[in-house]
Amino acid sequence: MIEIKNIEKYYANKGVKSYILRHVTTSIKQGEFVSIMGPSGAGKSTLLNILGLLEEPTYGEYHFMGEDVTAMKERQRIELYRNHIGFVFQAYHLIDEMTVAENIEAPLLYKKIPGSERKSRIADVLDRFNMVAKKDLFPNQLSGGQQQLVGIARALVAQPSIILADEPTGNLQSAQAEQIMDLFKKLNQEEGITIVQVTHSEKNAQYGNRILTIEDGVIKEDKATRLE
Amino acid sequence: MFKLNLKIALRNLWKNKGFSLINIGGLAIGIASCMILLLYIVYELGFDKANKNYDTTFVAYTNMEANGKVNSWAWTPGLLAPAIKEKFANVVNSSRSSYPYPSLISYGEKKIKNRAIFADPSFVKILGFNFLSGSEAQALQNINAVILTQSLAQKLFGNENPINKTVKFDNTEPLTVEAIIADLPENSSLKFDYIMPWKLYEKKQTWIKEQGWGSNFCLTLVQLKDANSIDQFNATIKNFYTQNDKNADNELFLHPLAKWHLYNEFENGRPVGGKIDQLRIFLILAICILLIACVNFMNLSTARSEKRAKEVGVRKAIGSSRKALISQFILESTLLAFIGTVIAFILLEISLPYFNNLLEINLIIHYNDYKYWLTLVGLIIFTGLIAGSYPAFYLSSFEPIKVLKGFSLKAGSAFSIRKVLVVFQFVFAGCLIVCTVVIYQQLNFIKAKPIGYNKGNLIQMAAQGSLQDRKKIELLKQQLLKSGAAQQVSTLSMDLDQGGNNTSNVSWPGSNPKESILFNERGIGYDFINTIEGQMLQGREFAPEFKADSNKVIFNEAAIKAMGLKNPIGTVINYGDTKCTIVGVMKDFVVESPYQKVAPTIFYPAAKNSIGVILVRLNEAKNISSSLAQIDAIVKDINPNYPVDRRFVSESFEEKFQDERLLGILSNWFGGFAIFISSLGLLGLALFMAEQRKKEISIRKVLGASTGNILTLLNKDFIKLVAISNIIAFPIAYIIINNWLSAYEYRISISFLPFLIAIGLSVLIAALTVSMQSIKVAKANPVDALKYE
Ligand SMILES: Nc1ncnc2c1ncn2[C@@H]1O[C@H](COP(=O)(O)OP(=O)(O)OP(=O)(O)O)[C@@H](O)[C@H]1O
Ligand SMILES: [Mg+2]
Repeated sequence: MIEIKNIEKYYANKGVKSYILRHVTTSIKQGEFVSIMGPSGAGKSTLLNILGLLEEPTYGEYHFMGEDVTAMKERQRIELYRNHIGFVFQAYHLIDEMTVAENIEAPLLYKKIPGSERKSRIADVLDRFNMVAKKDLFPNQLSGGQQQLVGIARALVAQPSIILADEPTGNLQSAQAEQIMDLFKKLNQEEGITIVQVTHSEKNAQYGNRILTIEDGVIKEDKATRLE
Repeated sequence: MFKLNLKIALRNLWKNKGFSLINIGGLAIGIASCMILLLYIVYELGFDKANKNYDTTFVAYTNMEANGKVNSWAWTPGLLAPAIKEKFANVVNSSRSSYPYPSLISYGEKKIKNRAIFADPSFVKILGFNFLSGSEAQALQNINAVILTQSLAQKLFGNENPINKTVKFDNTEPLTVEAIIADLPENSSLKFDYIMPWKLYEKKQTWIKEQGWGSNFCLTLVQLKDANSIDQFNATIKNFYTQNDKNADNELFLHPLAKWHLYNEFENGRPVGGKIDQLRIFLILAICILLIACVNFMNLSTARSEKRAKEVGVRKAIGSSRKALISQFILESTLLAFIGTVIAFILLEISLPYFNNLLEINLIIHYNDYKYWLTLVGLIIFTGLIAGSYPAFYLSSFEPIKVLKGFSLKAGSAFSIRKVLVVFQFVFAGCLIVCTVVIYQQLNFIKAKPIGYNKGNLIQMAAQGSLQDRKKIELLKQQLLKSGAAQQVSTLSMDLDQGGNNTSNVSWPGSNPKESILFNERGIGYDFINTIEGQMLQGREFAPEFKADSNKVIFNEAAIKAMGLKNPIGTVINYGDTKCTIVGVMKDFVVESPYQKVAPTIFYPAAKNSIGVILVRLNEAKNISSSLAQIDAIVKDINPNYPVDRRFVSESFEEKFQDERLLGILSNWFGGFAIFISSLGLLGLALFMAEQRKKEISIRKVLGASTGNILTLLNKDFIKLVAISNIIAFPIAYIIINNWLSAYEYRISISFLPFLIAIGLSVLIAALTVSMQSIKVAKANPVDALKYE
């Protein structure tokens, strides 16, 4: 599903290049549940953003479902993104001016999905996340865990083939974190959605089936989880 | 998407009520101000253009050289109109007419004093009036005919049909109403209420037939076949007077009717602008105010949009294309602009009557004119695009991650754009303050300048009807004095504060025949000096005890100076055909423009010519209104067939300041608006900045900063901007206002005061607006702000 080769990323500051990622090469197959781990500042988020097309690598090759992403025009990339990728942020990043239902609806609008289907999909997702009662509330009227659920619902509603999540539980209590991890696992196992998450917690990483460890912009370790 | 975006835009507006209010309010005031100015400009530009043939019609001007300069007047010989039509094939039509003069017209018992003109039949054809009844083809052919305007007809006849009814002109001439024309638009140079045939004028004023090519007493309109070659045609007719009479050395030129009103100043016999210059100032003002409002709007919208940078990032991260974001932001700002414009219209409708009253004009909004709507829609889209362009194109261009990672914190470049915009606004505001203060100073200076007589408590009455009889005037004088209402009574050959008759036909011992001096000439009655409270510098004024005064004259100071006479009293001069002796020198007093030097003037005894006005100095010891009532009763008694026509000299004198007053009012008001809008912009910016620096301020407070420290910190930046703006504004303002002042012979010198006021005012406004906002933040409990970080 994902094929990256020699990905590099650096920021030039006053002529000095500071590398964030160096020669990162890996592949992620359809249906995998990968956890990216590593110390703070290692470049985990950067890598995930690149995978999610939110950022461009300075150098390197990236194939998404067999297509060369680096050669794509902006239009095509947005198409690709809309149809296949769902992104979940640590800071939720909901739009404050929109209600829960509207936040979930937004990606469907961009995908130009007709009104009736939008309605049924939103109803489905709300139902599934037990948020029907909250659909007309604004983000600031929700708890952190609820906001993250909306964030995930928003990522799911477009029916992506892959979910990229950057410390989705970083701001949450362990009980809420567990709930979300269970959800990811279920999505992965029952619906076959590929999941890539960044996490600091060994325990959360165990929900997946593979752990990528990054240190100083380089992949240090790539192994399967013990509990399989 | 559109619907959702619209919903969100409205929600946003509502959520940030204060911000929206400032933003929309500033824009609305800006648009309304701009509209009022534009309406005024359109009104002025439309002068005389309602006339059918305005683009091929010209006003004949006479250039007359005197006092070393060329005077240009729209007064011509009566012989010109027929002659020019006969001589040149290019002339389609030409007409003579008198200038409008308030005269009595009556129907039965209804007596109304209204503006009358006498004109050739071709006058009506050239100007193409709108005939409501009667025929244009036959108009003014008959010597006893009159054409009324609709409103005069209404006043005289009410609901009766006026056609073929007989009215009386000046209580003597019976005239048949032959046509009714629609009222002339407010913006016509020639405003009159009824037209009578030129033939009647010639019959009543027998002197007209004797006038040659050197006597200028009427207005001549010329309609050309080919108006484009006017320069060539003007070259051809330049010496037309001399060609007809070799003694007539004045020159002739034609001035387009469409430019008559706005291009009303001449130098060396050529138009050099005039009112149009003032209009240009207003146009610049209008554009600048709109720009300021747009800048403001843009500033505020962008300030807020950075707060929304996160939204841009999120939207991109959930699949929004750039185009969708751009259209969203443009939609939002266009919506704001639309609301602003609607409010502007409400403001406009509310304030128009007030402005009309203030400016003494009649501006209306032409709602049924498509051009109007076009301008409006254009304005909304323009403002929306300008204001929305920054967030739309700038923010949406970033990689989503960049914006999401707290983009606003390092938005240094955007902030500096905003700084430039604020500087621009305050440069404009600074210029306006300086100019307004100088205009105000100049106006006060001129008003305070002694005019050489006391215009307070002085009234002038037209000498008409029975009062043209000297015996009756004498009787009136006796009665007025006896009643105690008047202290002094005298006469003058024309209004005290109006220009008019002049002559260069004066020579004196030592005068240079090649150099002519143009003298105003006025006939004055006895007690003139005491009545106007003027002053004799040498000699005496005319008085009944001197029997042989008919060949005596008095000059004013300016005349004596121009003539170069050392010992004027007793000098014998030639005045026209007669020899006259100078018996006195009068102190100069202002007749025409208080801004220019007083013209040389020759005074002759009233007995020599007709009397124009009766001057009455009111008794100050008595109640003014009862004195006036007394005077009216006495006048009515002596002159029963005419309504009493009296005016305070101080009131008609005030009209001389109309142009400057208008400029003063407009620059005051719109300068005020511009400053207000600018400070709204500043307020919004401060609001935004305080919000943005909330965390920083809280941390500083935790570290021990006082409210004062924080206020200084927040104010410093803004005060610096305002100071820079003033430094830029001052030279610009100096150049503009110096240029304006140079048109006046009497003018103030520019002092430091206006500049000090500008600095003081703008710094004060800036400090106030910024503090108002930041004090809230500075005083807030620091924990509140930090908790949410
Ligand atoms: N815009 C930027 N300019 C320069 N350096 C940057 C920029 N953005 C990120 N970095 C640097 O890139 C490095 C990697 O950042 P990244 O966010 O990927 O780390 P991370 O592994 O996700 O860390 P954490 O676990 O703390 O989230 C950091 O050292 C950071 O300083
Ligand atoms: Mg990270």
